[in-house]
Amino acid sequence: MEKREVLFRIKRFNPKKDEKPYFQEYKLTVPKGMTVLEALQQIKDTQDPTLAFRAFCRSAICGSCAVKVNGFPKLACKTQIFNELDKFGTDTLTLEPLDNMEIIRDLIVDWDKPFKRMEEMKPWLVPDPEVVPKTLDEESRVYPNELKKFDSFTDCILCTSCFSSCTATQIDENYGGPFQLARVYRFAVDPRDALKAERSKIGYAFDMWNCVRCNKCADVCPKHISPVDGIMKLRGLSIDVGLKDNPGARHVMAFYKSLLESGMLNEVLLPLRTKGIKGVLENLPVGIKMILRGKAHSPVMKPIGEHETLIKVMKAAMEVE
Amino acid sequence: MLQFDILIVGAGGAGLYAALETSKRKGLSVAVLSKVYPTRSHTGAAQGGINAALGNVAPDSPEKHAYDTVKGSDFLADQDAVELMCEMAPKIIREMEHMGLPFSRLKDGRIAQRPFGGASFPRTCYAADKTGHVMLQTLYEQCLKNGVKFLNEWFLLSVVHNGDRVSGVVAMDLRTGGVHGIRAKAVILATGGHARVYWNRTSNALGNTGDGTAAVLRAGLPLKDMEFVQFHPTGLRRTGILVTEGARGEGGYLINNKGERFMKKYAPEKMELAPRDMVSRAIETEIMEGRGFRDDEGNEFVYLDLRHLGRKKILERLPQIRELAIDFEGVDPIEEPIPVRPTAHYSMGGIDADKLGRTPIKGLYAAGECACISVHGANRLGGNSLLDIVVFGKLSGEDAINYVSEIGFAPFDESEVKKEEERIDSLFSSDGKEKLVDLRSELSDVMSYGAGIFREEKRMREALEKVREIKERAKHVKVYDGERTFNTNLQQTLEFLNLVDIAETIVLPALERKESRGAHYRTDYPKRDDENFLKHSVVERGEDGELRLSWKPVVITKYQPEERKY
Repeated sequence: MEKREVLFRIKRFNPKKDEKPYFQEYKLTVPKGMTVLEALQQIKDTQDPTLAFRAFCRSAICGSCAVKVNGFPKLACKTQIFNELDKFGTDTLTLEPLDNMEIIRDLIVDWDKPFKRMEEMKPWLVPDPEVVPKTLDEESRVYPNELKKFDSFTDCILCTSCFSSCTATQIDENYGGPFQLARVYRFAVDPRDALKAERSKIGYAFDMWNCVRCNKCADVCPKHISPVDGIMKLRGLSIDVGLKDNPGARHVMAFYKSLLESGMLNEVLLPLRTKGIKGVLENLPVGIKMILRGKAHSPVMKPIGEHETLIKVMKAAMEVE
Repeated sequence: MLQFDILIVGAGGAGLYAALETSKRKGLSVAVLSKVYPTRSHTGAAQGGINAALGNVAPDSPEKHAYDTVKGSDFLADQDAVELMCEMAPKIIREMEHMGLPFSRLKDGRIAQRPFGGASFPRTCYAADKTGHVMLQTLYEQCLKNGVKFLNEWFLLSVVHNGDRVSGVVAMDLRTGGVHGIRAKAVILATGGHARVYWNRTSNALGNTGDGTAAVLRAGLPLKDMEFVQFHPTGLRRTGILVTEGARGEGGYLINNKGERFMKKYAPEKMELAPRDMVSRAIETEIMEGRGFRDDEGNEFVYLDLRHLGRKKILERLPQIRELAIDFEGVDPIEEPIPVRPTAHYSMGGIDADKLGRTPIKGLYAAGECACISVHGANRLGGNSLLDIVVFGKLSGEDAINYVSEIGFAPFDESEVKKEEERIDSLFSSDGKEKLVDLRSELSDVMSYGAGIFREEKRMREALEKVREIKERAKHVKVYDGERTFNTNLQQTLEFLNLVDIAETIVLPALERKESRGAHYRTDYPKRDDENFLKHSVVERGEDGELRLSWKPVVITKYQPEERKY
């Protein structure tokens, strides 16, 4: 059977003892099929009992063992070492703790922050008495197409991989976080929930408009969930419930209006429509440069060909949603 | 000292349901202590579903559910407890549905149900193949809603009692390494199973090490029916990771190297949906008689073939199974059959408890897989464990509320904390002549050899001797990591010591039960013997440290023992 000599560079840190994190190297002969978690355990068993990491189910359902493998959050238990080596064209694997959380020891991070944040966002069903029966003699009716709207979000195993790679989380202390906001959306579209679209107000209070749609949360999710998708839809719900008077909503509405008017994005009017005069002033230097270089179009735009068809498509899409 | 009216140990389905129940009563102080963050608990790994006679797909009744359960148990289950569980099943399913649990649905919006092993009707409610996961998430969400207090990443060291009443527990905060006494009027143990005794081939999480069960044994209290360990027929070839019974429930075939659906020889009527003990023995027999497959690494297996179900059904009903097969075996079940072999899965035996979860010590309860109520007897049916944990989690929570409202705290002997501190200190200063990894593997090998799917006198005697030898040698295992913060070297050692304690309690009654019943199959006594062994085994550790075996009658209400045919 194929075997490879692999160098593991593992980030070590014990805040009680060490001034700062450092890398320690371990060599291991890795047979085909070995996972990162199996390697970690083997290093612990045979080379260094002090190496600290979390693991539990080893079948990708408990969410304990997420670590960064060559820079990307992964569940150690389901990550095949050979696949990673081939992908990076290397014989070295760098293992680090997840980002955006404090390190407790080595690869173990402090989950308190992301989970407390989730708790603050009411991640539980508030039963709608119109839908959920009052007695236990009956179940609520949930039709398969309704379940489909939120089913994928219930796959979340709270591994915090998305939280680790989230750009907005890095810069905004108040930002709700990807898996947390996705869970808000999960309940907002559950027909059994009493709060329904009103839940988007929770998303609003937790800065959901600060998501920069970098898509990293969806890229790293080991359960193939797209939190960013949930966040975008939650934004839509917030506009539906009337949270329109804010830069995020106005920005989206400006896009929408632009398309209705001409079928093209009117970038000249965008700052005005999103942030008003303030927006115009902020964008003025760039605007002037654009005009001087001939990059700016006229604020009045001619509709594109077949504009009517586009509007029909937009309306149809909104009905489907 | 920390102090609570009710302390729940373990945050899987049983622990969280007990917590939810107790959180409805205002003014009680309750905490849930768990060695993992609650949603990591192994309930989340349950895939296929939860049984209840909802009759949404075919007419059904709690009586039929009870009969199937009793028959599946090879008539060792206590029938009053089984009846209670099956009667409560539809209501508790709806209760969880009302909490938001995202069950898979029929076209008319009602909860969908699928066929499962040993059941007369499609009775298993499910959420694709992630039923336990969404159940755990839903219960946890509701606990957050009700403001349940959690002590996350705390490890149970011992149960403290005065021979009459429980006083609390001693536990370690893994984050600081501090050892603490916790006083409680009632303690509900919901610490899960112990199939990690079979370390090298099991579907269980790394931490399913019977911590509560071992603590109860060390506290001098009885364990029941410990010889009964379920081997799930379909574990992945290399890792033993679970492939749900739902895969066969949806119509999957088991195939040997002749290309035959060999179950027709063993259970002509139920075929692949015979109870787990029978299917596991059938697979092992096929392999032993040369009709299995063998890979380059020497792994032997048969195939679980899902291809005929088609892409759509596999993606819709078994998406997680598909992904596990791809990630861990490099096999896409849409294109290729999955290589499988039985894997140690479920502990039918456990802490001796009655149908409200009560143990012989007042205020001490056990619920879920760590408990033996007994509703599964000699063999558990698929889909009954998720049911067991929520029903008896709820009932033990209810009973604990009543108990603590009428009573004060029992005195807590502080020397118990010291004792545990000393036990831990001694692990740091041991001579290190034995290695944890080696002993753990030896224990697993000898348990598979002596107390595996097929058993016989000579092998069991060897196993008992070897387990006792390992117990002695384990005194030389050393913890090398000297830090107290998240010392996983220490934790893994303590867990291993629990497994060693438990292993002996499996082999001893297995030796004395001279019959074959459910998962306990003896080649030297291949028949069930109701005359002599229609009874529960009870194991206790005496003051001298030796195990004592006794027997206890089975509760029979209306289902008289009969031959078990499928």
